[in-house]
Amino acid sequence: MLRFIIRRVLWLILVLFVVMLITFILMHLIPGGPWDREKALAPAVVKALNIRYGLDKPVYEQFFNYIGGIFHGDLGISYSYSNRTVTSILAHGVPKTATLGILAFILAQAIGIPFGMAAAMRQNSLADYTSVLFSTIFASIPGFVLGILLMIVFSVLLHWLPTSGWGSPLQLILPVICLAALPAAQASRIARASTLEVLRQDYVRTARSKGLSERLIQLRHIFRNSLIPVVTVAGPELANLITGSFIIENLFAIPGVGRIFVDGIGARDYPLIMGGILFYAFSIAIFNLVVDILYAMIDPRIRFD
Amino acid sequence: MNKRTFIFSLITIITVLTTILLPACKSSSSTTTSVSTTTSSSTTSIGSTTTSGSNTSSGSTTTSSSTQTTQTSTAINPKGPQEIILNLAGEVNTIDPNRASWTNERSVIMQCFDGLLAFDANLNLVPMVATEIPTVANGGISSDGLTYTLKINPKVTWSDGKRVTANDFVFSIKREFDPNNAAEYASFYFNIVGGEAYYNSASKSAAEQAALKAAIGVKAIDDNTLQIKLTSPLPTFIDLLALWPVYPLREDIITAHGDAWAQPDTNGNMPYYIGDGPFLLQQWVQQDHYTFVPNPNYWGKKPYLTKITYKEITDANVAIAAYRNNELDQSGVPSGTEKATMADPILSTQIVRYAQLVTFGLQFNCATAPFNNKILRQALSCAIDRNAYIDQVRGGVGHATLSWIPPGMPGYDASLGTDWAFNPAKAKDLLAQAGYPNGAGLPTLKFQYANTGVNPVMAQFVQAQLKTNLGINLTIEPMDSKAFSALVNNKQFTWALYGWGADYPDPDDWLPQIFGTGAGNNKTGYSSAAFDALSTQALKELDNTKRLQMWADAQKIVVQDAPMVFVFNRETFAVQKPWVKNLVTCGMDGQFPGDMFLRNVYIQFQ
Repeated sequence: MLRFIIRRVLWLILVLFVVMLITFILMHLIPGGPWDREKALAPAVVKALNIRYGLDKPVYEQFFNYIGGIFHGDLGISYSYSNRTVTSILAHGVPKTATLGILAFILAQAIGIPFGMAAAMRQNSLADYTSVLFSTIFASIPGFVLGILLMIVFSVLLHWLPTSGWGSPLQLILPVICLAALPAAQASRIARASTLEVLRQDYVRTARSKGLSERLIQLRHIFRNSLIPVVTVAGPELANLITGSFIIENLFAIPGVGRIFVDGIGARDYPLIMGGILFYAFSIAIFNLVVDILYAMIDPRIRFD
Repeated sequence: MNKRTFIFSLITIITVLTTILLPACKSSSSTTTSVSTTTSSSTTSIGSTTTSGSNTSSGSTTTSSSTQTTQTSTAINPKGPQEIILNLAGEVNTIDPNRASWTNERSVIMQCFDGLLAFDANLNLVPMVATEIPTVANGGISSDGLTYTLKINPKVTWSDGKRVTANDFVFSIKREFDPNNAAEYASFYFNIVGGEAYYNSASKSAAEQAALKAAIGVKAIDDNTLQIKLTSPLPTFIDLLALWPVYPLREDIITAHGDAWAQPDTNGNMPYYIGDGPFLLQQWVQQDHYTFVPNPNYWGKKPYLTKITYKEITDANVAIAAYRNNELDQSGVPSGTEKATMADPILSTQIVRYAQLVTFGLQFNCATAPFNNKILRQALSCAIDRNAYIDQVRGGVGHATLSWIPPGMPGYDASLGTDWAFNPAKAKDLLAQAGYPNGAGLPTLKFQYANTGVNPVMAQFVQAQLKTNLGINLTIEPMDSKAFSALVNNKQFTWALYGWGADYPDPDDWLPQIFGTGAGNNKTGYSSAAFDALSTQALKELDNTKRLQMWADAQKIVVQDAPMVFVFNRETFAVQKPWVKNLVTCGMDGQFPGDMFLRNVYIQFQ
């Protein structure tokens, strides 16, 4: 187990390096640089800006300086966000984005899994169809449509909730619902499908035939086994939610990291792009690792070496 | 096991790269059409807009530069909490006046600082910290136009109570050229003796830099007298003295705290952001909001508002929802909903709209075929119905134009460009004259634009116009904003959407740098010896009447040559709560209507 984790962590470092390298190359290949504007800056100004941010050095040198900086916890200075360091942008934004993401994740799983399983248990009943209908709706409605819809109903018409912003728990309600809609729909569909599959397994039939109570069969055999695909999807989903959603954060004016990173790409804010990718890749990799470990705990067939 | 780990790693890489890098190929989802770096300006008045400062009330140092209001009532009667919530619609890059360049940055800085001079609501220059506008007659400008001497009002204080002196301006102007600051507006001030040399001295030793800094032609004769020397006469230099890059700055604070002086501490407080303006920036919770309170030591007339909040709602649909939910006192409307707003029983009574000093055009790459053919350019100009664009696409918001300098500015001439106004029959004639009868032999035309805001609709409109009026096919090429700017700046475009907003209200800012041969913002490759000759003269002409006449003649040459199809001037269209009183909109507004004169605004609940 420990050897497995160590090996995966070493792989992780290599993965991150490759991700950084590819990102760095792609980022410099995209046409347009940070100082390209419709109203062109004077050549002297562009030169001064390049010197200020170290862009006058050869590209490979910039890359190795950047990688060197990471070891000192220095992710560079953003060109477009008030010259803050990328580490301070992360420190400032990640807790907010993560709060939102974790709440949305819990809500999504708490709604999605029970609904999906319940639907599978009563396959082809009215409850099943209703569950499928709603999960299809929430899986296909874009976040910005749902967000505006919720705002019109709860803010503009009913005046119950603020439209946007950060600070009070009330301001969290709409974005969390909006953010949870798609993962909840996905969780419910996956839970339903995997439960249906487990229901047809031999060991379930065996359990029934040896006379176990339905409740025990559901808890011990069906529930646990049908969770494996759900967990597989939930890991990256959590990583995705924690690293933020551009659309939701932009819509609800949330001071998180999700929209900064996307804006960073638009602004060719190189340190911000690199910092964002590093954070994102790291989160994805870590959650994949956690999922692997969870597998072993849920599924008795999986062992590490 | 190894294989599985490897596959996981690969999946991780691919997931990350596709999720993050794919949006780069698309455009940003900004809801507004960006014009350019700076002040998209506007004006409510059509009065005199001369900037010579000849007829301004010299000696006056009050801040109430204009009595013009958008309200009918003139009696000031504040009622209820004097607090206002506005929407800045996004995070600023910097609020260091020396380094700022964007409209939203100005919207913050203007509340906290007063400069030597300022613009009033009619875009006339008025003195602020200086006691009068320098002229040759009052001795403020030497007869050769090279030396400017300004008297500082001794009453002016910083928000911590200290006096503002000439040295504060000397420090600021020299710092504007500091190579380590890489200030984006520095090039506007390169006419100051020694400024450019110091700005370009990044690779020099500290001693050499210090010598260059000392040689800059700015000095404090005494606490109340500031002297600035220019390398060549520049009549519009007084306009530049009204802009944010040369607001006074505190040397002691900036030396002690470095860049942190203009940044919030960990709690979002702004302990070092000391200004001489009517408000203090008390809090800046980054990406969330800004809070201003009155400056307790303000030297001028005290503002009515006790609190101003700027929110950062970037989505226009959300901003209007927040406005309807009374979370904002003013909001723009999503583009395309102008007509619906005018039909709404409540919102229609709350509209604030006025022209901006912004012109949009379709610029040709005049250096290469087929657009090196002047008659073809004129034909295309005649083929586009600007009024239909304003009425059908923009809901009637905006002003169709046939020339470059917008209405509300010196140099605007409504009679210009009528030769190339919309006229399909003439367009066909000209197309034949250009060598392409009915489009025969014409290569496929391409049109490039940044794929943001309403730009795609505009491109489709142009495409449809050419098809209908000339039977020509146009290929439209949407691009990411930065990629588009790079394409245009490298002159690799063929025909592209172009917008320009005023940095200051003078033809100086509108003609030479865009149409002068080889000028920094001349992307069309347009070159006219007659224009260049007039331009060189006009930039130095000290007689304002002669100067403006030269610019008028120069613009005529440009319009006749049609290096661009001039299409429309943008208009601000916003809504505002009825209890917001005395909001004065003006030609140099920043991010939202009236942000230049928030010091005059008050709240009056019924």
